[in-house]
Amino acid sequence: MTLTQCPVDQTLALVCRALEENSLQHPRSRRLAGQLMAMIEDVASGRAGAEHMTVLQRLAGELADFAADAAGMALGAQVREELATHREVFVSHIETQNCAAGACDRLAPSPCQMACPAGIDIPTYVALIGEGRDAEAIETIRRDNPFPWVCGLVCTRPCEFMCVRGRIDQPVSIKTLKAFAAERALSLGHYVNPPQAPPKNRKVCVIGAGPGGMSAAYYLALNGYTVRVIEALPMAGGMMMVGIPRYRLPREVIDREVAMIEALGVEFRYNTRLGQEVTFEQLRTEGFEAFFLAIGAHASFKLNIPGESDFPQVTQAIDFLKRVALGERHLPGQQVVIIGGGNVAIDAARTCLRLGCASVTMAYRRTLSEMPADVEEIEQAEEEGVQFSFLTIPVAVDGEQGVLRGLHCQRAEMVAQAGSKRMVPVPIKESEFLLRADAVISAIGQYVEKESLAELTTLPWTRRDTIQVHNATMATDLPGIFAAGDAVTGPATVVEAIGGGKRAAAAIDRYLNGLPQPSMPPVPVRHHRAAWTEVPASTKMALKRQPMPLLNMDRRRTTFQQVELGLSENMVREEARRCLRCDICRRCGLCVTICRDKMKVDALRLGYLDFDHPGPTDFRWTQEHCIGCGACATNCPNDAMQMEDRKGERIVHLCGTILSRQPVRYCDGCGEAIGTDRYNEFVRRRTHRIAPVTGDRVYCEACGRRQSILDAHDVHSMD
Amino acid sequence: MALRRGQKVEVFRRSGDESWEPYMDKFVGRHGIITDPDTSINDPESLVEVSLDGMGTHRLPQDCLRLLDA
Repeated sequence: MTLTQCPVDQTLALVCRALEENSLQHPRSRRLAGQLMAMIEDVASGRAGAEHMTVLQRLAGELADFAADAAGMALGAQVREELATHREVFVSHIETQNCAAGACDRLAPSPCQMACPAGIDIPTYVALIGEGRDAEAIETIRRDNPFPWVCGLVCTRPCEFMCVRGRIDQPVSIKTLKAFAAERALSLGHYVNPPQAPPKNRKVCVIGAGPGGMSAAYYLALNGYTVRVIEALPMAGGMMMVGIPRYRLPREVIDREVAMIEALGVEFRYNTRLGQEVTFEQLRTEGFEAFFLAIGAHASFKLNIPGESDFPQVTQAIDFLKRVALGERHLPGQQVVIIGGGNVAIDAARTCLRLGCASVTMAYRRTLSEMPADVEEIEQAEEEGVQFSFLTIPVAVDGEQGVLRGLHCQRAEMVAQAGSKRMVPVPIKESEFLLRADAVISAIGQYVEKESLAELTTLPWTRRDTIQVHNATMATDLPGIFAAGDAVTGPATVVEAIGGGKRAAAAIDRYLNGLPQPSMPPVPVRHHRAAWTEVPASTKMALKRQPMPLLNMDRRRTTFQQVELGLSENMVREEARRCLRCDICRRCGLCVTICRDKMKVDALRLGYLDFDHPGPTDFRWTQEHCIGCGACATNCPNDAMQMEDRKGERIVHLCGTILSRQPVRYCDGCGEAIGTDRYNEFVRRRTHRIAPVTGDRVYCEACGRRQSILDAHDVHSMD
Repeated sequence: MALRRGQKVEVFRRSGDESWEPYMDKFVGRHGIITDPDTSINDPESLVEVSLDGMGTHRLPQDCLRLLDA
């Protein structure tokens, strides 16, 4: 079975086919099959309850045992087998209203949710924020991610890359909405922990208080486990605390969200390094039954160039950022050169400026377009005065008697590798030059320190020197030992570590209960289908992504105050209204096909529906061209497109975006609603040769026929 | 570095890399967007984060990916 096939959908098709083909001969078989179909339709559309599974099994069993109809028996047996083989999938549909394969139209997660490594139900919380229900939005987010505020400030937002709105103009500012809701909910005291399961009296130890470790701790504690977190640093947060500067992520934000985890009874032991202050053996003796390794990747790659180890002014960016985060705010030098082009390099450069360095230059061996750092981060660094030296390869550190003179570099050019399109920087001969500096900070990447895990001699490692795990469960090959975060992925993102921690927590629960583990990673779960907000088409098109207000430049250069000031409440509510609600509209394009090819009206300009080749989109186009026939709404498999008559108007809307609003005409005979003028004209043009002639009067079909007969005999209706 | 954030890619074949797990066979033929490239050491062998249309977000070896809009 591929992921695009869903057992629920396939079983439904099986039963439907049997009924349509009249292969069931006996009335009782047909009745049972009809009941089966109704029950499976409930499951496929998210309407099923807890008793549906039992009823399905009973009906399938009855049909399979009904000897009077061989075809019915075969169908019953098939359905019974499907239910037995794919019981988990059916139960998942019922309990989570989620179709992992996306085949059951109503239950498919949206692209943004699918993109989120933590699987947050994004359309639901964006809709809730749009309605001002911030606390409910936070509750929704925390089902999948215990750090909504942190992620609202520093997430790399893969969701926004998949955001369908980005195919029209720019993606919805999902990250910023989350930060606003978290801040508002905390400030109003509405940010609360969900209820915990009763204590299980079983102990799990988490090694590392970073985003992955604390996420695992959060979900395990919610599930009733006794959790202890061991952390080498004097505070919680891991790389969030010591790797991300305070002007991007204030410490208070981390502290508040860590406090929520502590409130669940999670015990934190700081300044405790595994292998030094405590060993696995001691922890096992204390009764810990499972371990979660989230030790991060805190060691830095060296440049391996002459002079690197000869001067104390040559440091590693991660060490530098850690020292600054822990309160050591000394000037590294006046003229600083940062080597690297990633986010860590940018963070180090901007931190240097804030500490008072006169000049900060980033030396990067490739060009601006290849820099892996976030575009916004690069722009902000440039605005603050960071200089860039591209196509620059460090060759040696230069200085004497402990005094640094600078960095010998060589110019490079980008050259395609033989047999590949990959461009690599190649040094240009005789292009050496000296980049003057009294401090050099290297930021060319990090790796996992293995020393703390030396006790686990049989722990498997990858050739990338990361811990080897099974991605579906984050389990290592050692029983009871799980791992996630940077220690598994190498230096990666906060949200990926959170997703790994959540996945590991679920796997640890299964492990401790002797349950089989899944063979593939979980698919994000929709928590419910939030109501949409009605927005006129012109507003939907006019609303543009809200720009982020920034701290003034003087303060950005001199203080560690948060640079991104956040959106105002009005901006947030407006931004949320830009969401296209892709959890409801599956972008199957059936509405467009029917309107254009069947009705020949072509009133839907929805080019964003195509992932690979998006075309132009204009919701306002429909108002000018829609005839209000309702063919699109009738054929929409997910009720995303709807048509309804309201206060004398026929309204066509797509997930709340009002595409067309036209007056409804009523029959001059009986007063029945008979559609819009455009619709009646559309019908009249196609039927004028055969339709009754009724002059300027407007009639429904029945009244028109009656009036036509009266007119033909020159008899006037009494009314 | 060959891949950058926001680029459209296709999983065009299985990878022989040790990080390739059997469930990933179902990704072959799928299109997606690079959400987190190899951000630090520009290693063609490092794993990159890809959000696959309808499949979720995964870390995959680069040798199974090809650019769609190159």
